[in-house]
Amino acid sequence: MNSFISFLEKKFVPVAGRIGSQRHLVAVRDGFVSIMPLVLAGSLAVLLNSTLFTWLPFLEILKGINGNVWWGTFAIMTLLVVFSVAYNLSKSYDVNPLAAGLVSIGAFLAVTPQAHGEAGWGYIHWGYLNATGLFTGILVALIATEIFVKLMKKNLIIKLPENVPPAVGKAFAAVIPGLAAVYFFGIIGFLISQFGGNSLYDIIMTSIQKPIMGLSQGLGSAIVISILLSVFWFFGLHGGNIMEPIIQSLYMPALEANASAVQLGQAAPNIINKVFFDAFVHLGGVGATLALIVAVFIVTKKRKEYKEIAKLSAPAGIFNINEPVMFGFPIILNPILLIPFILIPGILTVISYFATVIGLVPVTYVAIPWITPVGIGGFLATGGSIMGALLAIINFALAVLIYIPFVKLADNMADKK
Amino acid sequence: MIKIMLVCSAGMSTSLLVNKMLDAAKIQAIEAEIFAVPEAEIKLYIDKADIVLLAPQVRFLYGKMSKELEGSGKPLAVIDSVSYGLMNGAAVVKQVQELLGSK
Repeated sequence: MNSFISFLEKKFVPVAGRIGSQRHLVAVRDGFVSIMPLVLAGSLAVLLNSTLFTWLPFLEILKGINGNVWWGTFAIMTLLVVFSVAYNLSKSYDVNPLAAGLVSIGAFLAVTPQAHGEAGWGYIHWGYLNATGLFTGILVALIATEIFVKLMKKNLIIKLPENVPPAVGKAFAAVIPGLAAVYFFGIIGFLISQFGGNSLYDIIMTSIQKPIMGLSQGLGSAIVISILLSVFWFFGLHGGNIMEPIIQSLYMPALEANASAVQLGQAAPNIINKVFFDAFVHLGGVGATLALIVAVFIVTKKRKEYKEIAKLSAPAGIFNINEPVMFGFPIILNPILLIPFILIPGILTVISYFATVIGLVPVTYVAIPWITPVGIGGFLATGGSIMGALLAIINFALAVLIYIPFVKLADNMADKK
Repeated sequence: MIKIMLVCSAGMSTSLLVNKMLDAAKIQAIEAEIFAVPEAEIKLYIDKADIVLLAPQVRFLYGKMSKELEGSGKPLAVIDSVSYGLMNGAAVVKQVQELLGSK
């Protein structure tokens, strides 16, 4: 067992490290992190409209306010992400990030269809700007920024005479690189329509996005993702940090689609989304470690250090911060705790999935901050459903029960030492 | 005055450690300014730090950070994972002193 672990540590950790610090993936992740305030504002708007503003009839008339907030956040989310991914990528190259962000917005709109159905020319359909456009948006932002940054670094800039104020020169510095990036996508858009295609969006949608999104909605993918997070953590690596680019670009659009559906009075389509994991699976952090803390309080008798760490970690654990537990017990490289630590996320994912499929629990559609405590998260994420809170609590109790025998085992092994 | 920057994924768990380290520094009468930043904000704060410590769960950032700090002479280290788990502020302060002392 030990040699197997050290083998993995040697092979697996460096690969994880490389993924975790890959420039473009980091830019995508940080791009999503930056727009979090807007995502939460959009979520609040949808939540209010489907709860309070529906329950209290006299508020009905004010629903338009929340509708406007939704329109300015979720409905145009891709625009936000294009800017923010380009900004973060350019920043990592130490090249003017504001310019890159603006250029990428231009590049993105250059490949966005200019006409919409019967509305005729001059209308951008919001369907290109909401989260379903994210794949296209991220791709355009990354490529446009790469073009921009490469040319900036080549110093393809217009040299001005010395007595021109430096600020003016700076404004001109980005001219050729910016021009090239926007033109590149202008040409792409032109070629696509010349060859009879509709838009880059449609091509990416049918060839990449739909298949991947479909795959991501499968129970299997959800189990793999929740277990992988635990596997990373078992090696002491921040799984969320490493996998965030994937999770965000797959499960954030899924969440947005749900929110927009609810906002428009339709059924939320995507059972598995970002909040699904936060509300029902990562109870107290990855691996449902708050349940481990409770299990220690219940059964640990001999190992004083376990109890100490449990006490120390409980306050942070309530807010889903679990590093003290991870490194304290430790869970990391701990062969006894490995089993429940990996099993539990898988089991909780399956239970939550089926509880949602059979309609016991509403589909999650409200973005919640990941520090939201167990139960409250389930309640809010499902749009104020008691069943959502109940599922989180039942999952939690089950996780405690699964941890108990392993904690006992660890306790008994303290004897033999 | 030592300015210590702690880095983790969201700046959450390191901020717990900040308080413990400040307590420990106070007892030992060490003047220190200690702050926690999420990985995404490293660049904003790196100039303000004399020494950078990585939380063990983001130790894979070591290579990237050492490039970032190249030539600045600022020490960089990964916090000992046991001290991190136990949120042992005193041990981490000691680790800082050793790093600064060994320069």
